[in-house]
Amino acid sequence: MSPKVIQFRLGMGACLAALFLAFVAIPMWVSSPSNVSNIVLSPTFWPYILTVLTGLIGLGLVFASRHSDTQIAIEDGNQLDDLSWFRLAALAVIMIVTMFALPRVGMVWATMVVFVLTAFLLRTRHPITALVCAVTIPLVLYAFFAHVAGVAIPQGNFVRLP
Amino acid sequence: MKFTKLTGAVALGTMLSATAAWAEYPERAINMVIPYGAGGATDISARTIAEPLGDAVGKPLIMANVTGAGGATGSVAVQNAKGDGYTMLFARVGSHSVNPAMKATLPYTLDDFRFVTVYEINPVACAVTPASGITSMDGLIAKVAEGGVSYSSSGVGSLPHLASAMVLKEFGVANPLTDATHIPQKGGGAAVTAVLNGTATFLCTNSSALSSFVANKQMVPLLVTTSEPVVGFDAPTANELGKDVLNKLVGWTGIAGPDDLPDDVADKWGEWMAAATQDAKFNETMSARGSVIRLMDPIEANAFIQDQYKAFRDLVDELGMRIEG
Amino acid sequence: MSFTDSLMAGLSLVATFEAFFALFAGICIGVVGGAIPGLSATMAVALTLPFTFSLQPITGILLLLGVYKGGIFGGSIPAILIKTPGTPASSATILDGHPMAERGEAGRALGMALWASCTADLVSNLALILFAGWLASFALSFGPPEFFALILFSLTIIAGVSGDSLLRGALSAIVGLLLATVGLDLVYGTNRFTFGDPNMMGGLNFIAVLIGLFAIPEVIAMAWNPTAHLGKARTLGQSKVTFADYRRSFKSIIRGSLIGVFLGSIPGIGAAPSAFLSYSEARRKSPNKENFGKGEIEGVAASEAGNNGVAGATLIPLLALGVPGDVITAIIIGAFMVHGLQPGPMMFLLNADIIYGLFIGLIVSSVFLFLVGSVAIRGFRFVADVPKRILMPAVLVLCIYGVFAVNNNIFDVGVMFAMGWVGYLMLRYQVPAAPFLIAFILGPLLEDNFRQSMLMSGSDPMILLRGPITWFFWALTSITIFAIVRNISRKAAI
Repeated sequence: MSPKVIQFRLGMGACLAALFLAFVAIPMWVSSPSNVSNIVLSPTFWPYILTVLTGLIGLGLVFASRHSDTQIAIEDGNQLDDLSWFRLAALAVIMIVTMFALPRVGMVWATMVVFVLTAFLLRTRHPITALVCAVTIPLVLYAFFAHVAGVAIPQGNFVRLP
Repeated sequence: MKFTKLTGAVALGTMLSATAAWAEYPERAINMVIPYGAGGATDISARTIAEPLGDAVGKPLIMANVTGAGGATGSVAVQNAKGDGYTMLFARVGSHSVNPAMKATLPYTLDDFRFVTVYEINPVACAVTPASGITSMDGLIAKVAEGGVSYSSSGVGSLPHLASAMVLKEFGVANPLTDATHIPQKGGGAAVTAVLNGTATFLCTNSSALSSFVANKQMVPLLVTTSEPVVGFDAPTANELGKDVLNKLVGWTGIAGPDDLPDDVADKWGEWMAAATQDAKFNETMSARGSVIRLMDPIEANAFIQDQYKAFRDLVDELGMRIEG
Repeated sequence: MSFTDSLMAGLSLVATFEAFFALFAGICIGVVGGAIPGLSATMAVALTLPFTFSLQPITGILLLLGVYKGGIFGGSIPAILIKTPGTPASSATILDGHPMAERGEAGRALGMALWASCTADLVSNLALILFAGWLASFALSFGPPEFFALILFSLTIIAGVSGDSLLRGALSAIVGLLLATVGLDLVYGTNRFTFGDPNMMGGLNFIAVLIGLFAIPEVIAMAWNPTAHLGKARTLGQSKVTFADYRRSFKSIIRGSLIGVFLGSIPGIGAAPSAFLSYSEARRKSPNKENFGKGEIEGVAASEAGNNGVAGATLIPLLALGVPGDVITAIIIGAFMVHGLQPGPMMFLLNADIIYGLFIGLIVSSVFLFLVGSVAIRGFRFVADVPKRILMPAVLVLCIYGVFAVNNNIFDVGVMFAMGWVGYLMLRYQVPAAPFLIAFILGPLLEDNFRQSMLMSGSDPMILLRGPITWFFWALTSITIFAIVRNISRKAAI
């Protein structure tokens, strides 16, 4: 991606977001009571100001992109392999599943699995260490947060720790 | 010898687990949700009772602050919890009588909870700064008639918000919402600061939040809403001013579970609270902060809260303060 | 009672083993608590509070103050080592501290953080002791219009932390402002972008957003390219801070301390904006301007001075007025009350011995902080040696625990994950994260104070110019904006 592409995409994104906010999001999801005495006090006043600013910045970025350099390509890290997108998707899936697992399975067990999966997703060079850490780190954190800090760490429906 | 010991231990173990299987509540730690932030009135009250209460329960109590949306976030967490008695809520006047009375969009109602006790009452006091030149309620009402009077609160739908409106109405202000301006702040500390720095004229809130300012002569109390005078507050009671209705305007802290809480669990809580509130240190600490310890059993607590809720609800409907949308 | 009498009375009160031990223990607890993301200084103080009930008042309060000061410094440790601020106040430290750690200079960055923290702490304590009365009366002249002007000025910091493109910085800020509108409306209590979810009604949790924005993108970026870091020097390096470093940054440290004292004595602003303001001022004045954000040691010094300068100064409104300046001092006030002490002007007369005892304790605390901090740095530096592909999963797990612990709410973990992807997108598109954060903190303050001003005046905008303080900040804002515009047009001309 060159700076030109970046500026242009960001600018277009901001313009679209401003339109979406102005015509869909604010009317639908910001409720304003009928007895508002003055427009500047309305709950929608500030969001609309922000919408206008978003639009202006978007236009500015699109305009600036016309003057940006197309030549300089920005490095996207070194050599990419085909699995990059796959790993991103896998990480997203891990996060979504974690959200479901935390209250049901319990935080300790869920984070152990998260640790192992992410470590191997990142192709760790120390698989044994990773496994050992995966078991000990959640346990140590649990012991600390639950027993020293007195936090009610979610325990789940199956195996409860003392 | 070794063998007998071992069998003994195993037998004892089975016996213990057998008794546990009869579900002698509580068999493990209990989560106590505090719907307000650390350092607030609810938090301090909850953490003070936690010590004697934990002794009475015999299992650890895990205190968890779940803050946000004027107590709604924490309350919903308990509303959605299993009614097994292992997740209980420290309910407060703001989250369980002012909020339900004022907010149409609140994701819970009083019926979603089963109250097991109310253990603490906080008198409400109204105060101004000495710089305002106001020394009595009459003086304040006269100022309201002139215009330009404002009051601060810890947010929309909080006790101070409703309290100020109620006090103004009882003292004969025709339309408290337009004759005086509500300037909401974020949190109780900010509400007091707003009066101190002249942003707002007066504030009605828990006497404990005002006591240090009154003692330091930074604020002048105008009124306390209880029938008994409050120590350190040189101000008339509501009854002395002939406004007995204002006695309803008090803060309280209680304990509630989800609505499907079984009877035996509720009974247990009644016993524990009776024991815990006897604790001398608890009484001393709470009184030092200006609270009145008054233990209510589940039935009395329910009646008390419903009664206050109805009074607030009527006021809200009459003044058109209800928040829709 | 004369000054010497009060001082002697105070001395006799603190000169006990328990008092100093409590202070020392408090700083230890604070540094460890601050170093654990999500636990933060606030939680550490709240957790310590119940222990103070059974102590002597002065011992208990010194314990809490120790935790507070230790926590604010402790937050810089994970900020530098794993790009996860331990407390919100240390988010500015990331900007230069983490690049230094990536370069193998973790030891130097941590050392500078400690030296700057202790210096600022000392300045802040002296300000408290010498100018408490004066600064307190100043604090009370800050109403909503003054706050509005101050915060508007503070938003100009964004230009200082935007990196090479002001427009992208502004875009980042606007996203922050928009996300900060989620929750209940201040004046009417109605829903804004909550989608009927009770978890959204409280707004997005600040610490969840903060950690999501800084720590999680690192993990995601690593999934995109697990070997990008190989070959870069990331050993902890025996690099240490030198006295020459300290002398070079001394001006920035003092400036940061004074900014901290000033913002700390006004209730309701807190340490994070102060750190950012100090950072952007240091950048503006520095000869190595270009190096800021790429691992400039002066940047670390300025941010840490900015946030620790607040620590002593927040006690000014607390002791002189009885007004808590932030959440932490609100909890500390609780400790005063439990012991029947009522902070405020009368306390200087009634309990002068306790006040002076606290002052003596505070001065000692800067020294203790230096000792404990030095040990902690040595203890934590090994983190920089952990292989990165073991460290990242560990950071992820630590963040899950920490963010949950902030508000005991699993929803916040989701907010952190979601913000992680936003942060990653911003990283890919070279949108800086710091403006987002500043806007997210200051946006609600700006809006709230604007609307409170309008309520006060009956919607008359002239109230925003009501006194010399507002004029001062409006003038400052105009000058800054003028300077920014001139810079841009100069660049365009070249």
